[in-house]
Amino acid sequence: MNPHIEQNAAITRRQLFGRSAVGLGTAAIASLLNRDTNAASTYAGAGRVGGLPALPHFAPQAKRVIYLFMNGAPTHADLFDYKPALKAMHGQPVPESYLAGKRFSTMTGNATGKLMLAPVEPFRQYGESGAWVSDFMPHTAGVADDLCFIKSMHTEAVNHAPAITFFLTGSEMPGRPTMGAWLTYGLGSETDELPAFTVMTSISKDTSCGQIFYDFYWGSGFLPSRFQGVKFRGGGDPVLYLSSPDGMSREVRRGLLDDLAKLNEMQYEELGDPEIATRISQYEMAYKMQASVPELTDISQEPAHILDMYGPSVRERGTFAYNCLMARRLAERGVPFVQLMHAGWDQHNSITTELYNQCRDTDQPSAALVRDLKQRGMLEDTLVIWGGEFGRTPFIQGDINNRPRWGRDHHPYAFTIWMAGGGIKSGITYGESDDLAMNVAKDPVHVHDFQATLLYLLGIDHERLTFKHQGRRYRLTDVHGKVVRGVLA
Amino acid sequence: MPQPSRALSFLLVIIPLASTYGDEIDFARDVRPILSDNCYHCHGPDEETREADLRLDTRDGLFQQTGDLAIVAPQHPEASELIRRLVTDDADEKMPPPDSQRKLSPEQITLLRRWVESGASWEGHWSFQPIVAPTVPELVANNSPEYLARNEIDHFVVERLQRNNLTPSPMATRERLIRRVTLDLTGLPPTLDEIDAFLADDSREAYEKVVDRLLASRSYGERMAWDWLDAARYADTNGYQGDRERTMWPWRDWVVQAFNNNLPFDEFTVWQLAGDLLPEATFEQKLATGFSRNHMINGEGGRIAEENRIEYIFDQMETVGTVWMGLTLQCCRCHDHKFDPFTRREYYQFFAFFNQTPVNGGGGDPQTAPVIEAPTDEQRAQLEELATSIDALAKGVETTEGSLFPRSAGESVTASDQAAQLPEGVKKALNQKPASRTSEQLTEIEKHFEKTTPEYVAQLKQLRESNDRRNSVQGSIARVMIMQDMEKPRQTFMLDKGLYNQVGEEVSANVPAIFSSLPTDAPRNRLALARWLVDPSHPLTARVTVNRYWQMFFGTGFVKTAEDFGEQGERPTHPELLDWLAADFLNNGWDVKRLNKLIVMSATYQQSSKVSPELLEADPENRLLARGPRSRMPAWMIRDHSLAASGLLVDKTGGPSVNPYQPSGVWAEATFGKKQYDQGHGDDLYRRSLYTFWRRIVGPTMFFDSAKRQTCSVKDARTNTPLHALTTLNDITYVEAARAMAQRVLQDDGVGSLFRPNASPLETPPAEKDSRPLTARRIETAFRLATSRTPSPAETELLATRLKTLEQYYRRTPEDATKLLSIGESPRDEKFDAAEHAAHTGLCSLILNLDEALTK
Repeated sequence: MNPHIEQNAAITRRQLFGRSAVGLGTAAIASLLNRDTNAASTYAGAGRVGGLPALPHFAPQAKRVIYLFMNGAPTHADLFDYKPALKAMHGQPVPESYLAGKRFSTMTGNATGKLMLAPVEPFRQYGESGAWVSDFMPHTAGVADDLCFIKSMHTEAVNHAPAITFFLTGSEMPGRPTMGAWLTYGLGSETDELPAFTVMTSISKDTSCGQIFYDFYWGSGFLPSRFQGVKFRGGGDPVLYLSSPDGMSREVRRGLLDDLAKLNEMQYEELGDPEIATRISQYEMAYKMQASVPELTDISQEPAHILDMYGPSVRERGTFAYNCLMARRLAERGVPFVQLMHAGWDQHNSITTELYNQCRDTDQPSAALVRDLKQRGMLEDTLVIWGGEFGRTPFIQGDINNRPRWGRDHHPYAFTIWMAGGGIKSGITYGESDDLAMNVAKDPVHVHDFQATLLYLLGIDHERLTFKHQGRRYRLTDVHGKVVRGVLA
Repeated sequence: MPQPSRALSFLLVIIPLASTYGDEIDFARDVRPILSDNCYHCHGPDEETREADLRLDTRDGLFQQTGDLAIVAPQHPEASELIRRLVTDDADEKMPPPDSQRKLSPEQITLLRRWVESGASWEGHWSFQPIVAPTVPELVANNSPEYLARNEIDHFVVERLQRNNLTPSPMATRERLIRRVTLDLTGLPPTLDEIDAFLADDSREAYEKVVDRLLASRSYGERMAWDWLDAARYADTNGYQGDRERTMWPWRDWVVQAFNNNLPFDEFTVWQLAGDLLPEATFEQKLATGFSRNHMINGEGGRIAEENRIEYIFDQMETVGTVWMGLTLQCCRCHDHKFDPFTRREYYQFFAFFNQTPVNGGGGDPQTAPVIEAPTDEQRAQLEELATSIDALAKGVETTEGSLFPRSAGESVTASDQAAQLPEGVKKALNQKPASRTSEQLTEIEKHFEKTTPEYVAQLKQLRESNDRRNSVQGSIARVMIMQDMEKPRQTFMLDKGLYNQVGEEVSANVPAIFSSLPTDAPRNRLALARWLVDPSHPLTARVTVNRYWQMFFGTGFVKTAEDFGEQGERPTHPELLDWLAADFLNNGWDVKRLNKLIVMSATYQQSSKVSPELLEADPENRLLARGPRSRMPAWMIRDHSLAASGLLVDKTGGPSVNPYQPSGVWAEATFGKKQYDQGHGDDLYRRSLYTFWRRIVGPTMFFDSAKRQTCSVKDARTNTPLHALTTLNDITYVEAARAMAQRVLQDDGVGSLFRPNASPLETPPAEKDSRPLTARRIETAFRLATSRTPSPAETELLATRLKTLEQYYRRTPEDATKLLSIGESPRDEKFDAAEHAAHTGLCSLILNLDEALTK
């Protein structure tokens, strides 16, 4: 995408001059570019930055999304999808009728004869909704009445990277825009001081997991790269190159940027290239970010009882708990799409070992985030999603006689995610898997359906948010997807 | 509410094409895009989804008549079913169907009606027609006194402008011109000497001399290579989980060489796609085929090898489709193309050309066979030297063994009576000729004779050490993945939905039927395919290539969709000029330097990029070329530019990729500590961006907006975000460049010349000196280094005031000066006053961030 084109579509030099009778103050240019380009947008009456004029297509239920992506695929049968029959069948071979036409990863190969593995922790019912949650997830259990469990998720990919890419972009191959990019492109943001699409990653300590975070998990695909997610880092500058160099104080920087703007304005006067005006405003935004990001990440003013809610590791940068707190702070500051990714859920041989750490690190912060948003009245218009890229086999990977090495392989045919907040019916379970948690039995929700629903909640018709690339109109849901009405409030 | 705004957005996109760029309705330009966009999906080339057995993408389909019903009845819109279906109110008959999410604007319908009324002219898709050089238009009148047409390009451009009542712009100033052309051809800014020489040269050929110098410079190849590497998705790792390192850099160096040697584009093509199949293929020709092996390789556990292998071939053939033909073939993996005349069968026929390598798709070795070893000159020399010495040492050992183990000629050592008592392992080792013994075997023999025969053992030890050295040199040689066909051809099958295990009908290698066919007297392999691509009769290769070069210089090609010359791609803004350039390229031996020269010698290229409000409104994107090109440099070029301006650039070519500055922890964070960025030092920090190590899963952080190098990319992305500003303001690379540039500027002590090698230290602190003229001169130098032009008095004054403020600040806050001056690993010349140096560093950072300094 050529910046000339983007800018010129929005603003011409005449418009600039027309607006500003007395020359071109930096502020005038900046405000024109940030606000005026979006004069057509009327998003909830709020000051929206960017976005398409035609969006939203209808009144949104949610204004922002916090997606807690559990990389590696949590084991649904051990955490949320309670199946007494699975317990009863422990150690028995998987019934052949459950396997027809199924393909598993090469680690499992042919699933015939694999032995069923009972959930390793007991399940109990919680809250008024009576949701079943295992002892792995005591904190999540405590907010069960605020959640909507979808137990009939299914997907197409059996390997991590393609499956995650599928969830985030609607296609298994990298190269398409991710949800956050689509939303930023379509809806813009409520803030111009922080990136609209922010990403944070974490992993449980001492995990043997070998997953990695590809940057196309928050890529913009064929959308202009300014829509790609900005990764907040776990160490060093929270945003790459955020800090001014040592020895360059804010006072010095301000002075340099003032002159930079003046000199660029002289250029603009001479050449008339509107890209110069954009550049002036982007340098101003960079300066703003240098203040707004440190303010965001300074948690010294958070009261102790709030920090305690998120658990002990909240004070440690780069942990999932810290990232959850950041997610809330970002949402408060008008950031519309926050994507947290936490890896380490790939329990091929560690259901009785590493899974405990995994749950310890994520259970309390996830529940705290829901509580914290709720007590601030923000859960109503914030959509929170928790889930992985597929589930794990209800049958064992490994030797049934070697309990410390019990594992489960990748399983795309039925798994569980939960959603909460903006526009979602709380305290319900939607969809069912069969009695062994193997296949979807009722109300299947395909990944494209999930995506269509997510867009719907933000006021977008998934069939109408498209982008023409290589001669074809692409959309997040490819050529599929239907809104899951049953989960809507 | 949604529908009207949707129609509006169509109107905004479509109308300028029809109204601004012409008057008469042109089928290909105005009509076909509407049909393609709205109708082909169900009435196009794809047989599977075709409705009512109706095709609107062919002449026969469009004008077919069944009984009384004509789809299009020329001159009779009222009798044309096509029009009736567009305007009917009957929801069952309305086209496109309301649920298709497609809808024509009233203006589009009017246009179609006018087209039918005016006789419904029809022509085949433009880019599939043969390339015929059009006549160069005569220039009627020179309508701008400051503009002088230089070559044929200008005739086409001016003729087009006149049709739109626009006039070309005057020439750019000399300073801006030498900057533009130097950056475009070498990726580096002109030096001050080069600028001065050009300004002083009032000969008519002054500019041409500059162009010829640049085309002959080594930097030319390094600049041209970048875009080719993007297209070839070149990287230094495999991608995916594990992301293991590969050594494809000798291929990258070959690309640079090929550009510098001006290898004609047809040979450049044949070598890269099928060099291995050329008779008596040379090392370079085989090396060149690394092009097709630059794709990502998946080592993720649980992956099925055959599935990988199929993905790699998809990538290879789709890359060829995009780079040479500007076609988006990937749609045909699953179904016939929706818009272009290619079938799924043809896709797999094309696939068959690439399906013949011994690659098996399995993980393991990151350099999966077939590979070629590419020793450097140094390694080659070392190996030769070692071979000679091993030879000599082995002879010595043989002689000794002749006397130690007497036997008849021709017999092996163990035939000797003296060897009878030796352990089996030693015997086995001795039976090998000394030159071909492994180090382990030599050690075994050494151990046995250690106590008894020390002279013999010393000889063996020497041989073993040379052997070891040879092995170590051998092991460090880069191995480049290349193409090779198996002797026994692999069968190719159509794959349902592109899935490796959904095997359908068998197909054999062939090219799509819409193009001329392959010669019958040659095997249908990659070589035939490569030659077919560069056959002068191929309608796409030359057009697509010329368009990409135009894009390189002007930011946008004649066809904006450089990756798509099909029905859904954009129509060229200057079809005649594109064809003329393509024909010229073909007829002059695919001479790339000649093409580049032609473009930069045109007056069109040399125009000023100044734009009036009227022109900006008339042609915001400069598609009609009434002004010169102006765009922000790509990030890699900004880096090279700053390194060059600061004097830090290490102008060394080729070799393994290097690790310049990058914030710590970026790799570690993406890979959970499995990959640690091992930042280089010394020269490695200041090499050209081209040589930066490219880790696929987390690319170099300083190259914002860059192609991802994961799949083929032929288009520049150029956006503008605060993150880019943060990079050039705060990245060590740029802060250090500012510091070094400041030091360079401070060399001017007001006494001697600017860059005297041994400039004397300042005698008195500058604050006490009359610094007016000196300050101005230093500012001017810094400004020129970064923007290639002399600043105006107003600019100088503003910067001088800032410099003074900065200097006061750093004098007041010396600890900040020290901190700022210690950024970056290059040494700082302590002879300069710290406050002054720091102030100039701030100033240079400002100057390097000027819009003009980031722009070419």
